[in-house]
Amino acid sequence: MAMAVLRRLGQTLFVLFGISVLVFLVFFATPGADPTARIAGRNASPQTIARVRVEYGFDRPLPVQYVRMMEKLFVTRDLTSYVNRGELVVPEVFQAAPVTVSLVTGAALIWVLASVAMGTLAAALRGTWVDRGLMMLGLVGISIPVFWLGQVANLLTQSRYHDSWLFSWVPGLGYVPFTQDPLGWFRALVIPWVTLAVLFVGIYSRVLRADLVAVRGEDFMRTARAKGLSPARVLLFHGLRTSMMTFVSLFGLDFAQLVGGGALLTEVVFGLQGVGRLTYQALGNLDLPLIMATVMYSAVFVVIANAVVDMLYLLLDPRVRDGRA
Amino acid sequence: MVARPSHTLLAAGLLLAAAAGCAGPAGAQDRGGATTDAGQTGDAQTSDGQTLGSPHRGGTLRLTASSSGGTLDPNLNYTSQYAQLFAVLYDGLVTFRKADGPASNDIVADLAEAVPQPVDGGRTWRFVLRRGLRFSDGREVTVADVAASIRRIFRVGSPTAGSFYGNIVGADACLRDPAHCTLQGGLEVDPATRAIVFHLHDPDAEFLPKLAFPHASILPADLPDHDLGNAPAPTTGPYRFVSYDPDQGAKLERNPYFRVWNADAQPDGYVDHIVYDFGLPDEAEVTAVENGQYDWMFDNKPLDRLGELGSHYTAQVHLRPLFGMYYVPMNVNIPPFDNRLARQAVNYAMDRRAMVILYGGAGVAAPLCTMVPDGIAGAIDGCSYTRGADPDHRAASWQAPDLDRARALVAQSGTRGQHVTLLVQNTAVDMSMGVYLRNMLQAIGYDASVKPLAHSVQLGYIQNTANRVQISITNWYADYPSASNFLDDLLGCENFHPGSDSSINIAGYCDRATQALMDRAKAATDPAQAADLWAQANRAIDRDSPAVPMIRMNYIDLVSRRLGHYFYTNLYHMTFSRVWVQ
Amino acid sequence: MTTAFPSAPAAGRASAGPWRTAARVLGRNRGAMASLAVLVLVGVACLLAPVYARDVAQTDPFTSNVAGTVMLDGRQLDIMQPNDNPLHLGLSPIGPTWRMAAYPLGADSQGRDVAARLLYGGRNSLLIAFSAAALCILLAAGVGIVAGYAGGVVDAVLSRMMDIMWAVPVYLFAISLSIVTVTQGLRIGPFTVASDNLLIPICIIALVYVPYAARPVRGRVMALRRSEFVTAARGLGVPGHRIVLRDILPNVTGTLVVLAPLMTALALMAESALSFLSIGVQAPAASWGTIIQDGEGLIYTRPMVAVAPGLAIIVVVLALNILGDGLRDALDVRDGDRGRG
Repeated sequence: MAMAVLRRLGQTLFVLFGISVLVFLVFFATPGADPTARIAGRNASPQTIARVRVEYGFDRPLPVQYVRMMEKLFVTRDLTSYVNRGELVVPEVFQAAPVTVSLVTGAALIWVLASVAMGTLAAALRGTWVDRGLMMLGLVGISIPVFWLGQVANLLTQSRYHDSWLFSWVPGLGYVPFTQDPLGWFRALVIPWVTLAVLFVGIYSRVLRADLVAVRGEDFMRTARAKGLSPARVLLFHGLRTSMMTFVSLFGLDFAQLVGGGALLTEVVFGLQGVGRLTYQALGNLDLPLIMATVMYSAVFVVIANAVVDMLYLLLDPRVRDGRA
Repeated sequence: MVARPSHTLLAAGLLLAAAAGCAGPAGAQDRGGATTDAGQTGDAQTSDGQTLGSPHRGGTLRLTASSSGGTLDPNLNYTSQYAQLFAVLYDGLVTFRKADGPASNDIVADLAEAVPQPVDGGRTWRFVLRRGLRFSDGREVTVADVAASIRRIFRVGSPTAGSFYGNIVGADACLRDPAHCTLQGGLEVDPATRAIVFHLHDPDAEFLPKLAFPHASILPADLPDHDLGNAPAPTTGPYRFVSYDPDQGAKLERNPYFRVWNADAQPDGYVDHIVYDFGLPDEAEVTAVENGQYDWMFDNKPLDRLGELGSHYTAQVHLRPLFGMYYVPMNVNIPPFDNRLARQAVNYAMDRRAMVILYGGAGVAAPLCTMVPDGIAGAIDGCSYTRGADPDHRAASWQAPDLDRARALVAQSGTRGQHVTLLVQNTAVDMSMGVYLRNMLQAIGYDASVKPLAHSVQLGYIQNTANRVQISITNWYADYPSASNFLDDLLGCENFHPGSDSSINIAGYCDRATQALMDRAKAATDPAQAADLWAQANRAIDRDSPAVPMIRMNYIDLVSRRLGHYFYTNLYHMTFSRVWVQ
Repeated sequence: MTTAFPSAPAAGRASAGPWRTAARVLGRNRGAMASLAVLVLVGVACLLAPVYARDVAQTDPFTSNVAGTVMLDGRQLDIMQPNDNPLHLGLSPIGPTWRMAAYPLGADSQGRDVAARLLYGGRNSLLIAFSAAALCILLAAGVGIVAGYAGGVVDAVLSRMMDIMWAVPVYLFAISLSIVTVTQGLRIGPFTVASDNLLIPICIIALVYVPYAARPVRGRVMALRRSEFVTAARGLGVPGHRIVLRDILPNVTGTLVVLAPLMTALALMAESALSFLSIGVQAPAASWGTIIQDGEGLIYTRPMVAVAPGLAIIVVVLALNILGDGLRDALDVRDGDRGRG
């Protein structure tokens, strides 16, 4: 077991190293990405450009530059942006993280509750129009592009019905820190939460229903029913508990990806300065230090979450361990 | 989506507004007058620059921007966002007058006692530092601080070190070896007489506006020789920093050591505190200012909100012309635009009315015919490239594109059918202009395609000759009101650096006769003579058409309902110390 | 990482005439049949885009028309209408007229007919989605079969590579690749792909979803490798490539077929997201995502520009998902449906 954990850790580090090298090389292979002139400022003299080149170390060999950048990112943590001169990127990422975490946690709460309710209900009423209706609703949710849904939500809540009683409470776009104004935080995030959750409600309710239907035939379910437990009880306590395995592992991966920046479309549409939007801006600006910081942040999250889920599986389910040998 | 207002970028420089009442077109004046500015400008209490005792004194001014403007180092920062902030924080030896309107183009004495007359034909400039000035940390401002600040321009590698201050004797050595910069022979100070003397290699009629630029702000001598980053330096103006965080914002309070020494240069502020928050996207900024959560927003107003602003918030919107323009540089060194007829064809075919519409309509932009916007000495009236006109028979104003003539010129030039790639930024406005231009190039006989680049990359990319860019769309804002900022910066031989990302003469244009005119104009200390020389250079460039001017822009300011005494200087826009909130 | 499809190797069956049975089951599935009809209808409409633009609306959807006018009920209207305010601030494009011949859905910020762009955009969106899905499934089948059948070091290397790709959120990965290629195009040896070539989004979308599609294939192949008939074939000394071709490939085809509509739906969503971020289809060409992007700046004044292409995406993706469900039921292949936001 310890060996497996260690091996997994080694693989994780290797994956992180691979990603950082990839990002670094892709950046320097991009034509027009040379940041020297941009750092030096408009119409800078050749001498100033040369000075900036030395100051930022762009005259050094690439491996040296890579090591220096990694050192500044992880050891001294004073890596500065190429676009906003003097701006430290590590604090920038850590400032953006609470926004993303707020967004994703709230959305996750909504999608877990809604999908468990929908999935269980659909499984309990299997074959009825309620089942079909709910599953169709889930499918519609899966089919809506999140950025479009966000735009339409903005259209309704910020413009068309903003003056009606329905949405007059919706504040302007943007994030309100929880510590500053908990109610404002909540009001600013409700619409983004729902928008982000819609897709996942669709996915999770369908997965859950399928799993619940599948476990109906299993022995322990039959036993439970034979013991005379009510069908609702069997479904809720035995069926749901068993199906939660898939659900939880799926959730771990999705949650990590979203916290790691996968929610960027939602963040962009709602003007939330989260990690995803930061990454997107950094990419648009070709701001390598910020790209590196956000991508590493994201990768760390996702890789660790993957490792945790995998190890949970190893611990909990010997069948899977054999299955993937 | 990638769009961020172009002037928040490091690459783009200062916005500069035209003199609304000076030589600007009548239409522009009318539009300015349509706002509620009239009647607010002549306030008796501002005459001595004091605000003590004013009923409007006090309160907190709340500003918002989508992001920070980069380093807080006044010697380094080259954004209009922070130049506007620095205007109420830092001072140079001289500065632009803090006046509402065209008078703000004038140079007045700031930390120096008087604006000097140049001696030695414009080569020697002698200033005397005022007595009793203090930094916001209580220390006195000395001539040693002045000398150190000027040297620091070179030591920290200011973007304008070469272009603005490279003419000072000894600057060459400083540019080569910044760490040991002394400006030996170029900068002398005398603590006894408080004198500061600059010696220049060549006469420079524009040395004063260069010294008034924020990069020549006077800072304490003991600042480190590297980028200050997010650590603010002590100030001399009416405010100082309380805190600063590039992700959250800035907080300013009154500088207790400030007293008014020249009301024209640095008057006292009305508000007690200034809070500058970062992070809201532009759409949300508009809503927040409309709702009174903020008093002012920095970013460009989104196009789809202009209608709403114009109809519902008329009293809170202020329109002022800018010394900024959109133009199309054409590479004169590679086909097809190494041919003058081909360049003139593009100039004739340019539908400037369509460009105005794409930029947001007649309220925010106007057609532009020459490379110097109206209102600057050296601008010339009329339009050469419009239907029924040519460089020898200029029309009074732009009328309509002349596609027939453009087609004929393309055919005559022998470049018909060549492939042309147009480089544009992938922001919404620039992209729409690019698509329009591509259609136009197709229509006059080229095989044209448009290539969008990330907005942060495009400006560097189109400057570098190694990328062999034929034609592109870009914009430009002057640093100070002079024709040199347009003609010499954008089309002067010394600003063409083949193979470099920093070669702002994007067209690669270098005409010896024109350059000689411009060099004489730069050295001419007599304003009338300089204007005449600039006009001659402008006409020569107009004929050669190395770049097609498209539109000039207006500045749209949106303020809260409670903000009073709107006060706008041409260089740094709304003056934070002059507006009041109660 | 390997847990997304824990139930993948659950079904295994190679009975006679499974395809015919599946077709019959699918034919009885009314939802799936209706979806298929909708897809065909949308496809035909998009193919007829030039007919609409040229003969009905008489407009060029790729040319800005900001200074033009349009005749409506005998009145000449500016396509870009100046806003009626004292400051002359801003212009608005003409809104939906609901007349087939004149801007039925209004104009975008460049005065172009949104309806015509919607049809042309649909061509690009659908082309990219189908091509990317096909390419992705092809690549995934290759990777999955090699990794699953070879096992050992090959499997470990391929799986780690998939891990690296999968570790970065899909959209971030696609965006990174797009920003680089959109800037400069792609140069691989002697082949140059221009930056506005549709091959770029196709390849990028196909690439980023390979780990997603390869995983169930690999799982299925691993299960098959241990199955009796493969073990028997190996015992008889049948060469590896014969086993893959004769025994493995036919048995993973069901998995691949079920994946096809789902991958197409995912690819369509990814394309629209990339284009929405202006790093997918490049102007002046259109796709549904770019039109939504054009509409973003007009969302409060002319919402139809963004709403119409969004509805088109929803209809097509929904139809693909229903079809995918129907296929899965018909072929009796189980795996979790998953997308990513």
